[in-house]
Amino acid sequence: MAVPLFLNALEQTGFSTWLRESESVFGFYFILVVHTIGLALVVGPNAAIDLRLLGLAPDIPLPPLKNWFNLMWLGLAINAVSGVFLVLAYPSKAFTNPDFYLKLTLIGFAIWNLQRIKRQVFDLTQGEDAMLAKGRMLAVWSLLLWAGVITAGRLLAYTCSYLVYGVPC
Amino acid sequence: MDFPHLHLLLNHFPIIGTMVGAGLFLTSLVVRTEDVRLSSLIVFIAVALLAIPTFITGVGAQEKIVADPGISNDLIQRHEGAAELAIWFMEVTGALAVVALWQCARRVPPAPWNTLAILVFSLLTVVLMARTGNTGGEIRHSEIRSAEENTAPYAALAYFEPSPAKFTRLMIVNKWWWAFMMDMHFFGLVLLIGTIGMLNLRVLGFAKQVPIAALNKLVPWGLAGFGMNVTTGLLAFVGMPTFYTHDLAFVLKIAAILLAAAAMVVFYLSGAFRDCEALGAGKDAPLRAKLIAGTSLVLWFAVIVLGRYIQPLQDSIAR
Repeated sequence: MAVPLFLNALEQTGFSTWLRESESVFGFYFILVVHTIGLALVVGPNAAIDLRLLGLAPDIPLPPLKNWFNLMWLGLAINAVSGVFLVLAYPSKAFTNPDFYLKLTLIGFAIWNLQRIKRQVFDLTQGEDAMLAKGRMLAVWSLLLWAGVITAGRLLAYTCSYLVYGVPC
Repeated sequence: MDFPHLHLLLNHFPIIGTMVGAGLFLTSLVVRTEDVRLSSLIVFIAVALLAIPTFITGVGAQEKIVADPGISNDLIQRHEGAAELAIWFMEVTGALAVVALWQCARRVPPAPWNTLAILVFSLLTVVLMARTGNTGGEIRHSEIRSAEENTAPYAALAYFEPSPAKFTRLMIVNKWWWAFMMDMHFFGLVLLIGTIGMLNLRVLGFAKQVPIAALNKLVPWGLAGFGMNVTTGLLAFVGMPTFYTHDLAFVLKIAAILLAAAAMVVFYLSGAFRDCEALGAGKDAPLRAKLIAGTSLVLWFAVIVLGRYIQPLQDSIAR
């Protein structure tokens, strides 16, 4: 597959080069660290809420868990920004890998699913039984989708065709 | 402080520690004293944690002496194989002890399956650790090398021990296996932060309407995540032992993991958790609990950060 030229142009920009090659503590690996912390903030609390919705730890009252969504949005914001930087560092690597598009699609579905959990399950005008009834399937989807996102993200390192423009992985 | 010093300092703990733990556990079965049983469980957990740095400092210790003409690499390999078998039994014993301690904290009587499993695994660990210690001692001490190695029990043990080179190859021969292990390592991270991390945040005062005792019921899932990560982490180390050994981020990560685990042990055993347990929704945790929870949270995130810096800090410790 021919790699579009604009990816090369993007890669040659000062910022992209700096992200890849900088020895600064704020270079590529710092952004990767931030991306991993963001992942922990999004998926960690999310998984815990899913387990609760699936009937585990029934002592945990559901309504106050709504506060956890703030933490998850923060994690999502961190990862949207750090994710853009990671793509800017290695645009050819990302855009030539079908797994990258799979990851983005799964993230889209996972966020949509998270929104549905917030809107439908954490609508606090209803009782706990109603919340649980609505939450069960969404919790299963949530676990599956985030597991898919993490797996697709991990596989980016193993499935790339180009490291940078014209250089195979 | 270098790897040989650390290895020699640490290596007595798993051997003697499992003997002490198993002795206490057997005593508790005979005299039926709960305190003795709890002590044995705590010893098992401490030793299972200490066995990790003992195991991983062995590679660095080996590199320092393998060129010595008086040293046989075959003896080192035999010792490494013995350790690669013993550590899994040690970690299973530790995990079983965590389950028992958890049940005890919930005031559930000890489950017979658990008691039996601890008994079997701790006694097997005593035997395997003794063999590991003996084969390790023989690397330097020619005076204890004897014909004993050819006896049937020794031969039987040797039969089950992996060849370190083969074990390493097995881990890295297929990149999809490696990818799978790393994926599981991330799942473990998520479980740990989602449960233990959120408990720490609650103790610190975040989303206070969730009672601490209720949130605590999710912690076994975090411990399961920790177990997944100890397993996949040890397997990864076996796959690339020299890579990890010469990496400052890796060494610091292991130190941070041990401190984070210690913070958890302190949280539950110091009474800090008891102080929090009775607190209902909206109640602020006492300062001591907050200090421990804050320390724990910082350490777990340090573990994530250091783990990410393993790759760029390759060869940061001189060979």
